[in-house]
Amino acid sequence: MRKRILFTAVAGLALVALLAAPAVAKTLKIGSMSPLTGPYAADGNDIANGVRCAIDMINASGGIPGYDKIELYPQDTACDPKQAVAAANKLINIGVVGVIGAYCSSSTIPASEALAEEDIIMITPASTNEKVTERGLPYMFRMCGRDDDQSKVAGKFIKEALKAKSIFIVDDKTTYSQGLADNVAKECKKLGIKVLGHDHVNQGDKDFSALLTLAKSKKPEVFYMCLQNHSSGSLMAIQAKRMGLKAKILSQDAMYHPNFIKVAKDAAEGIYVTYGYVDTTTDAYKKYEALYTKKYGEIGAYATYAYDAATVLLKAIKNAGSTDPAKIKAEIMKMNFEGASKWIKFKPNGDSSSNYIVFVIKNGKYIKYWGPEKGFF
Amino acid sequence: MDYFIQQLINGITLGGVYALIALGYTMVYGVIQLINFAHGEFFAAGGYMGVILLNWFIGRGYMSTHPMICIGASVVLTMGYCAFLAMGVEKIAYKPLRSASRLAVLLSALGMSIFLQNAMMLTQGVFDKPYPIELAEGSLTVGGITVSYLQVIIVVFTVVLLVGLNLLVFKTRIGMAMRATAQDKVMSSLVAISSNRIISLTFAVGAGLAAAAGIMVGFYYGSVRYDMGFVPGIKAFAAAVLGGIGNITGAMLGGLIIGMVEVFGAGYISGQYKDVFAFIILIAVLYFKPTGIMGENVDDTRV
Amino acid sequence: MIREFKKIGKIYVFGMLWLLGLIWPMVGIHKDGSLSFGRAFTIWSYIVVGTFACLLLYLLNKSGYLDKATKPMGRVRDDLVAKARAVPVWIWTLVALAAALIYPLFTARYAHDVAIQVLIYISLGLGLNIVVGLAGLLDLGYIAFYGVGAYTYALLSVHYGMSFWLCLPVAAVLASVAGCLIGYPTLRMRGDYLAIVTLGFGEIVRLILNNWMSLTNGPNGILGIKPPGIYVPSFEGGFHFEHIYLKKLYFLYYIALAIAVVTIVAVRRLNFSRIGRAWESIREDETAAELMGVNTFMLKLLAYAMGAVFAGLAGAFFAARMRFVSPESFTFLESAMVLSMVVLGGMGSIPGIILGCAALIVLPEVFREFELYRMLVFGAAMTVMMIFRPAGLIPAKRVGTRSEEKEG
Repeated sequence: MRKRILFTAVAGLALVALLAAPAVAKTLKIGSMSPLTGPYAADGNDIANGVRCAIDMINASGGIPGYDKIELYPQDTACDPKQAVAAANKLINIGVVGVIGAYCSSSTIPASEALAEEDIIMITPASTNEKVTERGLPYMFRMCGRDDDQSKVAGKFIKEALKAKSIFIVDDKTTYSQGLADNVAKECKKLGIKVLGHDHVNQGDKDFSALLTLAKSKKPEVFYMCLQNHSSGSLMAIQAKRMGLKAKILSQDAMYHPNFIKVAKDAAEGIYVTYGYVDTTTDAYKKYEALYTKKYGEIGAYATYAYDAATVLLKAIKNAGSTDPAKIKAEIMKMNFEGASKWIKFKPNGDSSSNYIVFVIKNGKYIKYWGPEKGFF
Repeated sequence: MDYFIQQLINGITLGGVYALIALGYTMVYGVIQLINFAHGEFFAAGGYMGVILLNWFIGRGYMSTHPMICIGASVVLTMGYCAFLAMGVEKIAYKPLRSASRLAVLLSALGMSIFLQNAMMLTQGVFDKPYPIELAEGSLTVGGITVSYLQVIIVVFTVVLLVGLNLLVFKTRIGMAMRATAQDKVMSSLVAISSNRIISLTFAVGAGLAAAAGIMVGFYYGSVRYDMGFVPGIKAFAAAVLGGIGNITGAMLGGLIIGMVEVFGAGYISGQYKDVFAFIILIAVLYFKPTGIMGENVDDTRV
Repeated sequence: MIREFKKIGKIYVFGMLWLLGLIWPMVGIHKDGSLSFGRAFTIWSYIVVGTFACLLLYLLNKSGYLDKATKPMGRVRDDLVAKARAVPVWIWTLVALAAALIYPLFTARYAHDVAIQVLIYISLGLGLNIVVGLAGLLDLGYIAFYGVGAYTYALLSVHYGMSFWLCLPVAAVLASVAGCLIGYPTLRMRGDYLAIVTLGFGEIVRLILNNWMSLTNGPNGILGIKPPGIYVPSFEGGFHFEHIYLKKLYFLYYIALAIAVVTIVAVRRLNFSRIGRAWESIREDETAAELMGVNTFMLKLLAYAMGAVFAGLAGAFFAARMRFVSPESFTFLESAMVLSMVVLGGMGSIPGIILGCAALIVLPEVFREFELYRMLVFGAAMTVMMIFRPAGLIPAKRVGTRSEEKEG
């Protein structure tokens, strides 16, 4: 009995402590949503850090007039639609002005529905599925490219640069990877490239030997590896090399991650990756790179987009001088500046430009290789 | 034909990996009838400890001078570490619940599994850790068939562990005590067997096996990740049940069958449904033989 | 008493040293060949301080030093309990219901969202309670029925525009059919064999949802599901009924509340019916039950089917509430979560399960502030809860004891 009372007392105290969170001076609240736990935690943390970095940058340049500080509320979605909606509602309760997120397209879509009811700005740094911006939501923006654009570049690259006649496609059954893989298959058929097979693996698989044996027996010229997660990608690259798969491997933006090369090591050599063109020589990128690497380590695939998305949001708030969503939207549509990842300009439906090019991995680095307009670099 | 043989080899290797994890699993089950969800986490901890130790040896420069000693030492130390870890987990999470309902223990194990997985994520980071060296690089190519030396090592290693474990359980006094405890805890304590000590020891051996499996899998796939234990943990559970839970040879057989079914399912029908095939085979076998392939006595305990 | 202190102290010191031995190799051995103790020691010292404080409180309390504070409180508590007991149960039920009814008026949308989740899980938890708590069949794939219910409504709504209210019974029926399909081959299995087979079934259902592109749209999920609608009388332009969709969260809250209340009443009635008794007899001893003339075959199937009905209802509501379903919501971890709620709350005890659901949904949400540490704390809390209250928060009152409990 006594034990129980003690327990109740402690629990009560804890509850009081939780509820009595100190009130602070005027803060600008923004939220981020990404998977901080679970299998996609790596990319999710990159996103949160990218947003943090943007806040640091704005603070360093004098902050936003009228606010003492900018507070970030990072929420974990665990790539689960239910948790994403809960996180969105939590952010609505906190009273955030805008949200950067989410990562998985399947989380972004339901979360954006909830945020849209309260007219909160949402900018996704990583969800490339077409449907994200095709539902007519007024405050939904996208910083990264779209799957259909990426697949066009991939198709053109296979046809014109690799001059291949046949392809074997594999994806890992997520909204993102399957959508992209289907688009690539369509694109290839249109260009007269023979699709020898389109197989799927499940998320969390580690052993791809059966699939790779199948791919090897079909003797394709190009092996298109479309996976949500760079860690499955590195496993597949290692096993493909061990299996002696002769095809050239082409992959997509999720494989643009320093850890992909670190794990796959020499198995990553010669793999092609489609990824948004990032001009690493611009001032904007250099400034961002210096700040990010100092505080958060190596730059991951989506950190730069998250940084740009947060920068866009904060700049728009600053320019609008208010937190009224309609005014912020008007400012976002006016944006026309050099971001860290690309030149930022939004289309009426909320998409920004896609500028996919092909990188090749050489000596453990991503080297610009081919662009749809320029051809070989 | 080449294609078939290649897939067969793939299946045997994957089956070997599952069997390796299932061995420790089924052994712990045999003694205390506990679905140890944390077993997959011991496996992952083994994988991580392997990387840490190998990296340390490389950093010290010992690896270039005595590679075999360093690898051997890493394996032994990792097995020791995981045995140590498992004994701690057993004392905290399972021992106080020995007289509670089986579901309470199941949940306690599940909680421990979530805890360990997240502890690993926090201490080791969310990214994959690459294995710094390759064990037995290279492969054998005959005709169109490729067998890497590593695949051979995994299968041989599994068989050696199987034999060793069988010897331990059936030929030593400790094994006898383990079997006695498994049969009846009260009776065995009457004949001066400390059941607590035997259970601790079983956990230690089981986790040691899991750790060895973790290192082998780390070498085979080239990297480790904090959540690598969960899916193989469930597959190993399935393998152990398929073979007749508590039966060591059965676990090996179950692992091989599940590995084969997955590989042939993926190779001949469709990759996306390979887990479905594995589970259907499991259900079909259990439907006709509810105690698994090599299970003998009907398990009459309830949840 | 001093001796007891010494004994516990010895175990504690030994345990903490053990812990240090576990933490250090994970964080203290470095790639460059050096060893460090700083970080391991810092982490360790946090844990030591935390656990030592708990231990101290526990010991002080046990040896009576805190009596001055706890005794009066205990008396107050005992008085309250006695007074509460004096009031009939139905009054408390009414009070709880009234509180649930006015809840949305005083809270904001995040609280509504969490409350809706709790209510959905109450239906799920009570449904699973029929299978696990009453009939004693360990089911690790229960979430499959939830998925069947959700996809039933999603597909009927998107393709045929059927109304939520019409789909609710359809979802329940389909889920119970799925329950029988899964139940039938597993009837001969017991214990852990049953556990892995049901787990396998759960995974099969999820994989089919994820891979059957033409029906379920695979991982893309189904978008554009209609929320529940109602007809309201309208006098504009002559009297007629206008159909409106209930999009606001507090409307949905009331629907969830209605489903949960129906579930609670139904499970309570089942529990004290002849069928409920028969289930309990199967749980206690299947062979004996069969000898007494209980049709174990039909009743076990019925347990699966009835459990699935409530999951189907909850699933259909879930689809209507999210207006989006995808296979990611129906993973094994979700099954484990529902099972945890049932066991943590107290198997077979309806108030216990309600409390368990509330605890397991609200806790991770409270820990949201801790970001990365949230699942760590959650896992630890689950183990600690089981150690201190293995029979659950509010254990069910049972008739007699079970054989294996006596053994221990």
